[in-house]
Amino acid sequence: MAEGLRLSRIGALVAPWIVACAGGGSPAGPGLPPGSEGPESWDGAAVYAEQCASCHGDAGEGGLGPAVYSWADGRDALVANIDETMPYVDPSECRTGGCAEAVADYVLGLDGVVLCDDPPLPARRLRLLTRREYAATVRDLLAPLGGMRETGPDPCTDGTTFTYDAGGRSLGSVHVAGSFNGWDPAAWPMRAEGGVWTLTRVVPEGRHEYKLVLDGGEWITDPANPETAPDGFGGANSVLEVACAGGGEPGGAVAIADLTRAMPVETRPEAFPFDNAADPAVVTSVHAQEYLSAAKRVADAVGARVVELVPCEGDDAGCAEQFVRTFGRRAFRRPLTDEERARYGALATGEASRAEGWQVALHGLLASPHFLYRSEVGEAHEGAFRLTGWEMAAALSYGLLGTTPGDALLDAAAAGELDDAEGVGRWVDRLLANEGAREQLGVFARQWLGVEGLGELTRGLDPALRADLVEETERFVAEVAFGGGRFRDLLTADWTVANDRVAAHYGLEGPGDWGRVTLPEERRAGVLGHASLHVRYAHSDQSSPIQRGTFLRRRLLCQDFPPPPPEAGGVPDVDPTATTRERFRQHTENPRCYSCHQYIDDLGFGFERFDQDGRYRDVENGQPIDPSGVLRDVEGFGTDTEAPFASLPELGARLAESEAAPDCFARQVWRFAHGALESDACMVRELEERFRASEGDIGALLREVYASERFRLRQTPGAGETGESE
Amino acid sequence: MSQRDRGRRTFLRALLGGAAAAPFAGALGHRPALAAGPSGRAKRLIVFYFPDGVAGRSQDGEGSLWEARSEGGGIRLSEQLQPLAGIEDRCVFVNGMSMGRADEGSHPGGAKKLLTNKDGGFGMSVDQFLASTVGGGSPFRHLYLGAMATLNGASGDKFVSYPSAGVTAAPEDDPRRAFGRLFEGGVTVRPGDGPDPEAEAARRRTRSVLDASLADLNALRARLGTLEKSKLDLHLESLREVERRIAGVEMPPPAEAPSCDDPTLAYDVPEEQRFEPGMFPAILRAQTDLMVTAMACGLTQVGVLQGSHHTSELIMSRFMGAEMYDPGFDMRSHQASHYGARHDRSNRLFVDFLAQRRWWVSQFRYLLEELEARPEGDGTMLDHSLVLFCTEVSDGNTHSHQDMPFILAGGGGGCVSGGRVLETGGRRHGDLLAAICTAMGEPVGGWGDGSGEVLPGLLS
Repeated sequence: MAEGLRLSRIGALVAPWIVACAGGGSPAGPGLPPGSEGPESWDGAAVYAEQCASCHGDAGEGGLGPAVYSWADGRDALVANIDETMPYVDPSECRTGGCAEAVADYVLGLDGVVLCDDPPLPARRLRLLTRREYAATVRDLLAPLGGMRETGPDPCTDGTTFTYDAGGRSLGSVHVAGSFNGWDPAAWPMRAEGGVWTLTRVVPEGRHEYKLVLDGGEWITDPANPETAPDGFGGANSVLEVACAGGGEPGGAVAIADLTRAMPVETRPEAFPFDNAADPAVVTSVHAQEYLSAAKRVADAVGARVVELVPCEGDDAGCAEQFVRTFGRRAFRRPLTDEERARYGALATGEASRAEGWQVALHGLLASPHFLYRSEVGEAHEGAFRLTGWEMAAALSYGLLGTTPGDALLDAAAAGELDDAEGVGRWVDRLLANEGAREQLGVFARQWLGVEGLGELTRGLDPALRADLVEETERFVAEVAFGGGRFRDLLTADWTVANDRVAAHYGLEGPGDWGRVTLPEERRAGVLGHASLHVRYAHSDQSSPIQRGTFLRRRLLCQDFPPPPPEAGGVPDVDPTATTRERFRQHTENPRCYSCHQYIDDLGFGFERFDQDGRYRDVENGQPIDPSGVLRDVEGFGTDTEAPFASLPELGARLAESEAAPDCFARQVWRFAHGALESDACMVRELEERFRASEGDIGALLREVYASERFRLRQTPGAGETGESE
Repeated sequence: MSQRDRGRRTFLRALLGGAAAAPFAGALGHRPALAAGPSGRAKRLIVFYFPDGVAGRSQDGEGSLWEARSEGGGIRLSEQLQPLAGIEDRCVFVNGMSMGRADEGSHPGGAKKLLTNKDGGFGMSVDQFLASTVGGGSPFRHLYLGAMATLNGASGDKFVSYPSAGVTAAPEDDPRRAFGRLFEGGVTVRPGDGPDPEAEAARRRTRSVLDASLADLNALRARLGTLEKSKLDLHLESLREVERRIAGVEMPPPAEAPSCDDPTLAYDVPEEQRFEPGMFPAILRAQTDLMVTAMACGLTQVGVLQGSHHTSELIMSRFMGAEMYDPGFDMRSHQASHYGARHDRSNRLFVDFLAQRRWWVSQFRYLLEELEARPEGDGTMLDHSLVLFCTEVSDGNTHSHQDMPFILAGGGGGCVSGGRVLETGGRRHGDLLAAICTAMGEPVGGWGDGSGEVLPGLLS
């Protein structure tokens, strides 16, 4: 059966280097016929607990390794798999002849053995808002005030700009030197454009003195800055006062992006590319303090205008009640209980003025766990749990738009429109038509492809270009999904969405602001031709076929690799006479390396015509570049397929034709929606099949993920456990 | 304006808003700042983590180039340990510890197991345990500071601290933020200062908001029962900690703890250069200083300093003034760690790797010196501290989890005497972690998998 095949692929995937590591890994003792000792001499449960449970879970539910209880190929296949590939560290520890059989029998007898006709459900969870979701939520909650600035110029983060107009004078260089850089006349070069020299740098908060240095020797006062102080040599220094934009000045604007800046980064489990993993998202004391302080800053920034959030004409007590009821429903994404209304009502009426009281209530609502977690707990329903209409409103809105549900969606939940699949389907369509859905798909794309951190890399490329390259990828994926494209276009499109800066990087005529451009032939491979990927998966001084190849396997095919074996060498030194491909040749010449690298290097070589900055090249160090290769075992290790390709576009096409690539895409969309890895391949099997059947219709996939009845079903982790006391 | 002035001006902003005025400082002086812990017990733990192992036993079987040896009543430091020359008597060089077999050959496996001694990080780490026990009453139970540890959407497997099974915390990588949180966020009244009505009102409001959060949280816990219990328990513990800080405690007279009364942050890396490898030493230095100051001021008793993360792409050849400095060549930590099968001194990777490891050891020395420089009770802070120096694999090239390179420094309040090499003969490193708990006054019989006792010979 397919499921068994999938799991055996996973086993085989691990096999190559394990075998290498175990020195060739001979099967069970030579001359010892299988079963000669008999399973009865082994304690399957004990072996499982000792050798298997740490990865596959105590009950076979999976963990580090895949779940074992969906094994459907039968005992013989399972025995063979254990014999050949398990335990992971050293398969020789459990061979046929007793051990493998005993463990197989134990596994097959585990409680909860299910086949794909009854796949397990995701767990009931509380999902802490990510920083991204938090910022979007606050932005939307404050929308009735006419919008707060999302971010604003803050010299402490955005920098201070120095400008010098040379007035027609021809200069070789202009530098800024001052107390902020040790008066180094060469540290901060300005850049010329049309005779005007500029430089933007972050200067620490405080008072600074500086001068401009022309052509490395002529020190002048900045003519554009009227503030000066004596320099002690009879001249004058320019004076710069930098004050950070305050977050909490009463009545001032709040910079939404600043609210989350100090919150801890999200942690991501291995093989989970997204920032919204639910299980590891916990509130440490650092979080708690930041949440309290961010809520306070919002309340302060809103100031007396807080009363405009819920317009009310009545007396203080009645209006406080109305504020808590109305704004509370937005903040908690459900109506408040009586107890909660009383609690926050007391805050709203506990101050000298109406506005002050509401500010405290606002502060409180935004610090509450009901605001910070979105609930996917559900209600008991036919042996499982089913998300309520309110929970669905939040799940759909955060999933599809990345933000909190608006009043209309909450009203729909109140009216019971989200109680059945039909109503949910209508709302999914409505949300998908929202502009925010494109942006959210862009967020998915940059995390799925791993290019979000491009701004943190320090390479030669202009930071503005790096940001644009990421945006290119976001816009392209959204355009494919919402512009009538199919999954295969993500890997084969002959166009992209670029602005002038991106187009220039590709050597193309720019479209002005963002728009579609047709790519040159060698780049016609959808996202694979994007410089964002080429930069991300490279070293600063050279491309990285290894990073690029493992990227394809992990992110695009959902095939994970064991870590490199102990004897793995480092990256070969740059050789000015050889191509990168030649330098990595040892991987194919050494059979131990080859056992794994046959799956990695060729894919990476397919990208070789793009250097570490994503620029096209057809020669390297005077040698022609060979981007051809073979895509082996695309459907999983041990599937014995070979697909040759001559160029990156051909590699893209081979991937697009596979089953593994669209399956993986569907799986990644599912993971993003649920904030969790599937605990079992069965969980996503049906989704993958439908996505393939739709010929890669991404819009239909999103509808399927969010609107299916299955999306809202949950189960409590652990058999028969019900924590609910309601 | 100096950071100090800024701290003065904005200290209450984080929790209470901008209106606060003079009679408050950070959450300082929670307790008499420099009082000694009970004798025979360590008052605090600092874990200093660095990435990618050391030059240990090579793939071809050459002996470890890391381990210190006992020799003629003294200690012979290896070349990687040379930066500790002169302060060997403050250190116990723990040789021969094993992290067990599973996950062998893996950086992530090692990082997960380093402080949990559980495969896959499926257990609480020892620092978090001590934070919630020994440190439970501190204004900050736990202080986790990093230097470029969260770059590039680093996955959770790169962090070494585990608040609960399988759940990592992320370190704070920005010294300015960490400083703000530590020294500008709390409320402490100094005796003799008159009441400030505005700040009092702000404090009262924050207090009511916290009460509401606590009430919501408790209602949620009651409703969910066992579901998400560990998540909500941690949330509760975190709110309680913030609550304690807001409650505030009287400051000691400034003379007793001048640096606590008006702390400063010596750190001038521009925001935009925070990710530049050349800035790494300045960032680590600032975080080390902050850790020591926070401990000296009684803000916390348990801290982890994480330098970069495993499989580090940190270009250490850009550290100006360091032995391996070379502006013309980018040598990364992980890259150098794969120096080859042999200890080959004609190999650039190997030579650089040795120099990089010496650099980490020198940073460890700096931490120890800072602790030693501060008097505490009858001795110095270092006398009352435990400082664990550790990394996730032993030899960087083989990724072995045997013969792990651990150094335990500090007097532990009298229960650890340094100047020794302790050969442990392949015991699980959980025994060392258990010994640390015991030295901190939280005796445990073992820590994690395959550990059944407190490491013999370590504590006196």
